[in-house]
Amino acid sequence: MVHLTSDILQSVVKPARYTGSEWNAVHKELDGITCRFALSMPDVYEVGMSNLGLKILYEILNNRHDTWAERVYAPWIDMEEHMRNKNIPLFSLESFTEMKEFDFIGFSLQFEMCFTTVLNMLDLSGVSIWAKDRKEDDPFIIGGGPCVYNVEPVADFFDLFVIGEAEEALQELVDVFASWKKEGRPDGRIGFLKRAAQVHGIYVPCLYTPEYSKTGMYTGIKPVDDKTPAVIYKRIIQNMDDVETMEKPIVPYIDIVHNRIMLELFRGCSRGCRFCQAGVAYRPVRERSEKKLRELARKMIDSTGYDEISLTSLSSADYSCLGGLVDNLMCDFSNEKVGFTLPSLRIDSFSIDLADKMQQIRKSGLTFAPEAGTQRMRDVINKGVTEEDLLAATGAAFKKGWKTVKLYFMIGLPTETDEDVIGIAKLAKKVVDHYKEVTGRRGVKVTISVSCFVPKAFTAFQWFGQNTLEEFARKQQLIKEHITDRSIHYNYHDAHVSLLEGVLARGDRRLAPVIYSAWKNGSRFDGWTDQFDLERWNKAFEENNIDPNYYNHRSRDFDEVFPWEHTTPGVSRAFLKHEYEKAVAEQLTKDCRRGDCTGCGICQTLGVNIVDWGRNRA
Amino acid sequence: MPEKAAAFTYRGEVTKEAALRFISHLDYSALIERAICRAKLPVAYSEGFNPHMKLSFASALALGVTSDCEYMEFILSKDLCQPEVFERLSAQLPDGVTLKALKKVEGKHKALMSLADEARYIISFSAEGQEKEWAQAVQAFNNAEVCIYQRVTPKKTREIDIKQYVIGQLEIKTENNMIELTAALKITPQGSVKPAEIVEYISKTHGLNNNISDVDIRRTELLAGGGNLMDAH
Ligand code: SF4
Repeated sequence: MVHLTSDILQSVVKPARYTGSEWNAVHKELDGITCRFALSMPDVYEVGMSNLGLKILYEILNNRHDTWAERVYAPWIDMEEHMRNKNIPLFSLESFTEMKEFDFIGFSLQFEMCFTTVLNMLDLSGVSIWAKDRKEDDPFIIGGGPCVYNVEPVADFFDLFVIGEAEEALQELVDVFASWKKEGRPDGRIGFLKRAAQVHGIYVPCLYTPEYSKTGMYTGIKPVDDKTPAVIYKRIIQNMDDVETMEKPIVPYIDIVHNRIMLELFRGCSRGCRFCQAGVAYRPVRERSEKKLRELARKMIDSTGYDEISLTSLSSADYSCLGGLVDNLMCDFSNEKVGFTLPSLRIDSFSIDLADKMQQIRKSGLTFAPEAGTQRMRDVINKGVTEEDLLAATGAAFKKGWKTVKLYFMIGLPTETDEDVIGIAKLAKKVVDHYKEVTGRRGVKVTISVSCFVPKAFTAFQWFGQNTLEEFARKQQLIKEHITDRSIHYNYHDAHVSLLEGVLARGDRRLAPVIYSAWKNGSRFDGWTDQFDLERWNKAFEENNIDPNYYNHRSRDFDEVFPWEHTTPGVSRAFLKHEYEKAVAEQLTKDCRRGDCTGCGICQTLGVNIVDWGRNRA
Repeated sequence: MPEKAAAFTYRGEVTKEAALRFISHLDYSALIERAICRAKLPVAYSEGFNPHMKLSFASALALGVTSDCEYMEFILSKDLCQPEVFERLSAQLPDGVTLKALKKVEGKHKALMSLADEARYIISFSAEGQEKEWAQAVQAFNNAEVCIYQRVTPKKTREIDIKQYVIGQLEIKTENNMIELTAALKITPQGSVKPAEIVEYISKTHGLNNNISDVDIRRTELLAGGGNLMDAH
């Protein structure tokens, strides 16, 4: 058991990050536990504790009598220093057990910039960084989360991955582990991994060998034998009402990023924005019933004492009977101090009315994502939003008294012209003017936040060569020059980070040594602006003689084989290619949620279907 | 407070044990609030745009210190009997908080925050072979009229006489290579001294072992006019 002395805890920022014992944290007797599972996020406590997927898995695993799931997050720099100086290994927050004692350490991989933090956590745990170096009694390192749709750059650091939704797959994996252990661990580590590879949705990277052409192009990946599946399709929960889920989330003692109940209305979003990986990865849409949602809300409020529920989903306003659900929830909790919030607002007045009814705190302002500045560009990305929609929505908000609006945009999209870029500044100006028209006053604040587009695997834009640093910088300037109104606040991001994301997002296994070197050079918490240091990465590419431009700036041929295609959400390549062509032709594709199937292939490939109560009623 | 709504004040004695000693006072207050919510007690809220629960504490506890005796007051809109409130709230308190006593406060009384005027502590740490030196240093501290301590906060550094807040003598016991100090400290509207500051002052001024890595500080009593806060008015 790890003991942190009081001088250490006194000297670090937010010591409660490391002391556990929160309400609803699960403590078990070790007697009768077959599987000890550490659930982790390669980020600080406040971020890790806010992740919905980890919360769900924590409860599901702990519902098993043979398993004890505990939590571990990345110690912040100040704590890491103490741990390294005093040889304190990374430990779990429930029993303060060091990581090496666990059977599994599971990492939720939310974005590419967390990779070096994973390595750092493995190192702090005293576990070999490279999977091939791990010893018989080392924990199995398992990854999950959105990054699994191109996991090759970190494949060599992991023993296995869960592709897709893990509620059922992880349980099956624990069953396999339990019987392997009971049988006396036949064939050791590799014996278990081979069995694990037979579980649907489990990818065991050491059982596959990537192949490259003479010119260094990736040509495919080979499983070691014909028992090992050549393609791993994502796991998916068909019935969101029946699946075991979170009912007693842990209540932290310190404030965290999302310090409220997350009520997951549905999974999936098929609006079909062509840049969006989540829009493909989580298809098809599957809603929970209102009855189930009200039941879950009641259970979670009772078990936590929280006073706020966030109606969580990729686009919550698309829930088929959201108005009714909100009315009923507000009625259920009318005698308690419980508030409701919508994390994402659709660009229409329905969303504004709802936000108004829910009395969302006005000071925080409203956030919309038009994503692009001109109609042409929005058609290219299939963002089915017009300027009229935006003005109608902001106008409704202004009438109701909102004074601050935040608008999200991207630059560096396919076919983008300077006119499209300048359109961002122009659109912001129109919103400012609209405020004056609607209210007859001045004093609005419009913030535009502009990010640099990163093409992602399994999207229509996966073939597209990312903009260069110079292009991004020029476009960022161009917007600045065209902002004429002092009511407009302009934020843009460091393009270097987006370019690096661009490398990792479409990388292959040859990037593993680069990630390793970057970590060796001191990288961790790369997603934190104040911790990110480009030099460490530049050096890492040099040391390994790898040209990053090959991965991010290169436009791919339509017949190129991609290193991510064997861990797939089940989308058809032909569909994505067709979507790219339609993008260039500025043609829209409709949402299949309540209309016709538009042929992405996921439902047919995985044998699932849409669950949408509006559609089913119609 | 507007008198129209019925209001019944309950005062409780709760602990803050080792598991929670690095939770700030504000976060400790929030965890009690959540427990009251889970217990479904008909608790009163302040009026206004951003209502908050009517819950107050006698005295903030320094980070890292455990306590046998924190005092809190909350107001219910219904006249519930003591055992019911006690049981419902106890059942919802996390590990590290125990409700030791609870009573309904009748009649007029001062705000709980202004009642406490004395806190007692036990401070223990490893002697690391310096038992004798510590005994002498404590003796010197007890004999001194004034002890000027440099209080460093993120904003500024100030010199204060900490001796003025010490009631009677510091007592020292050594056993099994452990040192145990007992201190009674004044809480005044103008300020007070933290037990950790006394330890730091003594060890610094006498060049004693400065890396006392694991100090345990426990508040054993919080008093008003020498009496228990549960009974103070
Ligand atoms: S297969 Fe058809 S219905 Fe299913 S998600 Fe794809 S486009 Fe929609």
